[in-house]
Amino acid sequence: MSLAQHLPALQVVLPLISAPLAVLLRHGGVAFLLVTAGAWAAFAAAVALWLQVDLLPAGGVLTYHIGNWAPPWGIEYRVDRLTSFVLVLVSGTAALVLTYGHASIEREIARASHYLYYAMFALCLAGLLGITITGDAFNVFVFLEISSLATYVLIALGRDRRALTASYRYLILGTIGATFFVIGVGFLYLLTGTLNIADMGARLRDVENPRAVLAALAFLTVGISLKLALFPLHQWLPNAYTHAPSTVTAFLAATATKVSVYVLIRFYFGVFGESLVFQRLPLPEIMLGLSLLALFAANLIAVFQDNLKRMFAYSSVGQIGYITLGLSFDSVHGLTASIVHLFNHGVAKAAIFLLIGGLVLGIGRPGAPPPVPTFKHLAGLARRMPLTCLGIVLAGLSLIGVPGTGGFISKWYLVLAAMEQRQYWLVGAILLSSLLAVAYVWRFVEAAYFRPVPGDGGVVREAPLVMLIPAWILVAASIWFGLDTSLTVGSALDAAQSLLRSGT
Amino acid sequence: MTSLHGLVPHPALLLIAGALLLPLLRGRARSVAILALPALALAALWLLPDGVLWRVHWLGYPLTPLAVDRLSRLFASIFLLLAGIGGLFALRQESRLEIPAAYLYAGAAVGVTLAADLISVFLFWECMAIGSTLVLWSAGTPAAWTASRRYVGVHLAGGMLLFAGVAGQILGTGDTGFHVMRLDSPASWLILAGFLVNAGAPPLSAWLPDAYPEASWSGMVFLSAFTTKTAVYVLLRGFPGTELLIWIGLFMIFYGIVYALLENDMRRILAYSIVNQVGFMVTGIGIGSEMALNGAAAHAFTHILYKALLLMSAGAVLAATGRRKCSELGGLFHSMPVTTLCGIIGALAISAFPLTSGFVSKSLVSQAAADAQLQGVWLLLAAASAGVFLHAGIKFPWFVFFQKDSGLRPADPPASLRWAMLLLAFLCIALGIWPDPLYALLPYPVAYVPYTAAHVVTQLQLLLFSGLAFFVMLDHLRRTPTITLDFDWLWRVAGPALAGVARARVRAARARLARGLTGLGRRAGAWILRNRAPDGLLLRSWSSGSMSLWVMLVLMAYLALYYLG
Amino acid sequence: MKRGHRLEDPRSIRKLWRGFLVLLALSVLAGALIDPKPHFAIEGWFGFHALYGFVACLVMIVGAKVLGWCLKKPDTYYARDGHDD
Repeated sequence: MSLAQHLPALQVVLPLISAPLAVLLRHGGVAFLLVTAGAWAAFAAAVALWLQVDLLPAGGVLTYHIGNWAPPWGIEYRVDRLTSFVLVLVSGTAALVLTYGHASIEREIARASHYLYYAMFALCLAGLLGITITGDAFNVFVFLEISSLATYVLIALGRDRRALTASYRYLILGTIGATFFVIGVGFLYLLTGTLNIADMGARLRDVENPRAVLAALAFLTVGISLKLALFPLHQWLPNAYTHAPSTVTAFLAATATKVSVYVLIRFYFGVFGESLVFQRLPLPEIMLGLSLLALFAANLIAVFQDNLKRMFAYSSVGQIGYITLGLSFDSVHGLTASIVHLFNHGVAKAAIFLLIGGLVLGIGRPGAPPPVPTFKHLAGLARRMPLTCLGIVLAGLSLIGVPGTGGFISKWYLVLAAMEQRQYWLVGAILLSSLLAVAYVWRFVEAAYFRPVPGDGGVVREAPLVMLIPAWILVAASIWFGLDTSLTVGSALDAAQSLLRSGT
Repeated sequence: MTSLHGLVPHPALLLIAGALLLPLLRGRARSVAILALPALALAALWLLPDGVLWRVHWLGYPLTPLAVDRLSRLFASIFLLLAGIGGLFALRQESRLEIPAAYLYAGAAVGVTLAADLISVFLFWECMAIGSTLVLWSAGTPAAWTASRRYVGVHLAGGMLLFAGVAGQILGTGDTGFHVMRLDSPASWLILAGFLVNAGAPPLSAWLPDAYPEASWSGMVFLSAFTTKTAVYVLLRGFPGTELLIWIGLFMIFYGIVYALLENDMRRILAYSIVNQVGFMVTGIGIGSEMALNGAAAHAFTHILYKALLLMSAGAVLAATGRRKCSELGGLFHSMPVTTLCGIIGALAISAFPLTSGFVSKSLVSQAAADAQLQGVWLLLAAASAGVFLHAGIKFPWFVFFQKDSGLRPADPPASLRWAMLLLAFLCIALGIWPDPLYALLPYPVAYVPYTAAHVVTQLQLLLFSGLAFFVMLDHLRRTPTITLDFDWLWRVAGPALAGVARARVRAARARLARGLTGLGRRAGAWILRNRAPDGLLLRSWSSGSMSLWVMLVLMAYLALYYLG
Repeated sequence: MKRGHRLEDPRSIRKLWRGFLVLLALSVLAGALIDPKPHFAIEGWFGFHALYGFVACLVMIVGAKVLGWCLKKPDTYYARDGHDD
């Protein structure tokens, strides 16, 4: 068998083995090289998988049987259009963040724990990739736990003492979420006798016990909603994002919640079926209401934050509202909007948090613990860190949804989906909520570009190139995917069509 | 030609790309580039043949970002011409941001005129909003900064209307093309509303006189030319003959006159007069006959030239004296003869005096009203013509250059500013004497002769007697240091005040709640205050316990809704 | 300065007024010599445009005055109350 046939396994295994190696070697520099190489290799594998899926006919699935055990007994890895799309996002962000991270980590994490950081990062990456690629429900849970546990450690590595409490909170909530998830999977296993997701979906249609199915759906929905920080289950997120090291925030913001959305889509459309979830139950209405709450409440809260990281963390909660709003429409356009936004928002938010990492480095004094990036520090910063500030503004434009940026594409499909269902008030709501995004990006612009430099500003340097280049690659990507949409919209549309076909 | 046009760049993208590269240049190279860019783009425009030239696919829609016909060529030409002359005028501007921003803005405006599909129009439309805001910012004053915030707010709102309209139109008709629309769906109403916001139509006219005068001495020249005239262009293409526009246009005309009469700031007078002049064009579009549409297009063309000339003379005064208020100016003709002369020529042109460009374009609109037997409209347009002379034609030069002597003796501006003004003054007169080249560019064939004895004599009567009215009533027109309230009061005073009241109410309610809780149980109240008050509702972090409680609540809610629903 | 003096001299201002009035009279008289080809009956009246222009301007000035009465505020209005944010 050639290497190409084992790509699905390599996708997960490569980052996974880099983690124990990093721990064994116990050296920050070596661990950096190892884990970064693992992440780039995973990215290469994701791209190769993407190309393989591209060769299949529309809606085709690439399957891989672990240990050659045929499903439903063995564990199956399944790669379709949507899977490979998410794989590319996750592994690509990881590779860029790791490359970027060296300088930032030096400052934000104690030297002795560097190897631990890299090991945990690799585990987290492997877990997220595993969740995405596996076709087995229990395996999803296992990988979910791997990535979550690694995440708790990563957050706790932040030098700020509040990182510990943030991590603890996330641990409690994350564990509850995972428990709910496994309860839901347990119900489904009892009902169908299988753990293979595709198989589960096929057998569930013949199940006569709707009450148990509904319980499973409720537990899964709440469990996953916790992980994806759906309003009002988002309270773990702002603290976690604020106090974690910058690189961790960037990576989590771009991937962790997005993978949870992916799991939700998989279960809704692959297992329960569109007709149960969206047509027989009031789920679309609930989701619509919660999404709107997220759009307005979270974005509004974001406007009033003083800590830059916290502001963009709340903005993430708001932006997740767009993704779930798209789901609630239960239409091709809506689902396309969700999938595209999952990608575009991931790219833009990762860029912003990476640039904030550079900003923290720039405004901090050598040797001192990293400062909290508040608006006080921002006054007149654009003159001293022009590239960092410009990058944040450009990526911020994507959050607003300005034409020519990725965010516009997602908004466009959301508006189309709302108009299709003749819900004009929703169009208004979507557009109004983007005004809130304008407000917080504007606050940044005002502080960075129009406030005078304070007299005791101290020495501020532009971030080093090794940090700027990966961040700017993401900034450029958030613009690029606003102009050339063949990759994002092309695959999202494809995926949405095949999901809705299989769901009916 | 067909083999050649593939090599010709998109004029708008050429200008925009140049604008992005300009900040890298210094000194003479920069000056040459500033003058050469619009010229190159203009040459590119005229090398392009008529027809749809670019087709691309985006988001699965066919887009045509480059299509040329007579109407688009006319508007693109005047935009590029003015970008060039404005660039010459602004050559000595200290802000290095302004000209690149203005070229981005101008390029986007040209892009709108050359786009034949709604999506491209919208994309360039938003680009224009960004460019114009940057022009406003580059003035660098706190007033410009706060005004720009209001400006951005209005234009974002307008952009959202347009966005919703475009999305709805495409979804409803399945057609991305930008052509004549009927007001038969919410989407087309939204598009019309989005266009009208940029035209300065009521009730949002106030953004224009609020923001434009805060730009730098050269910035307002650019601002006056593109946003409103692009709106005229899209109305011409999308909504010709929509009767509603007649009444909107007439309202704008008289709004502009009345507010300008009350105004003290010379640049705000000219800003109100932009609304007034765009009103003439909008009325012409509403009448909708070929002659009226020709008139609207021609008037947009000539108006860009003479309004820029007026604003350049005002800009020269501002640059020299640092003053904008009529009550602090006067008697400047002593030391600024060239500026005075150019200001007067612009004032005569805006008043449509015979032998100026305004005469040959404005009369097309009123003639069209007469031809359509719209007596009321025609009478109002005639009164408005007199009113234009009153508020812009005499009032502006009189209070700035003559009236009582303010004692200021600033010199005429440097050569680059003088040449820009003289060039525009020449064009205003030349088009007035020889209108045929302009008529040849109009979208429909012109069979109109402006210089008949009857037309010249009646126009002179109208204008001279309104001049008489001005001097007779001069005592009642004396300038006072005042402003006149407008709809922007709603978002500058009422909105914030309401928000303040609401905030106070919420705070009071919360205080009451906290007091009530203390009454319920001292310990519970103290606990809440200790845990919640310091951070406030928006900033606090939740304890793990309350977060878990929420999770349970949501699960219960889901289960309940599933089983009951 | 000399040129300025000439224009600001009350005598020359009187001369300018006289010239202006002659111009006004000539423009009205010229109306008798032309064929107006009226679209509307009202247009054919002798001196219609002159009278209409004058009256319309008076009406607009008075209208503006009345509006100004209600809406005029000192030009520090927005700045003073600190509303300008």
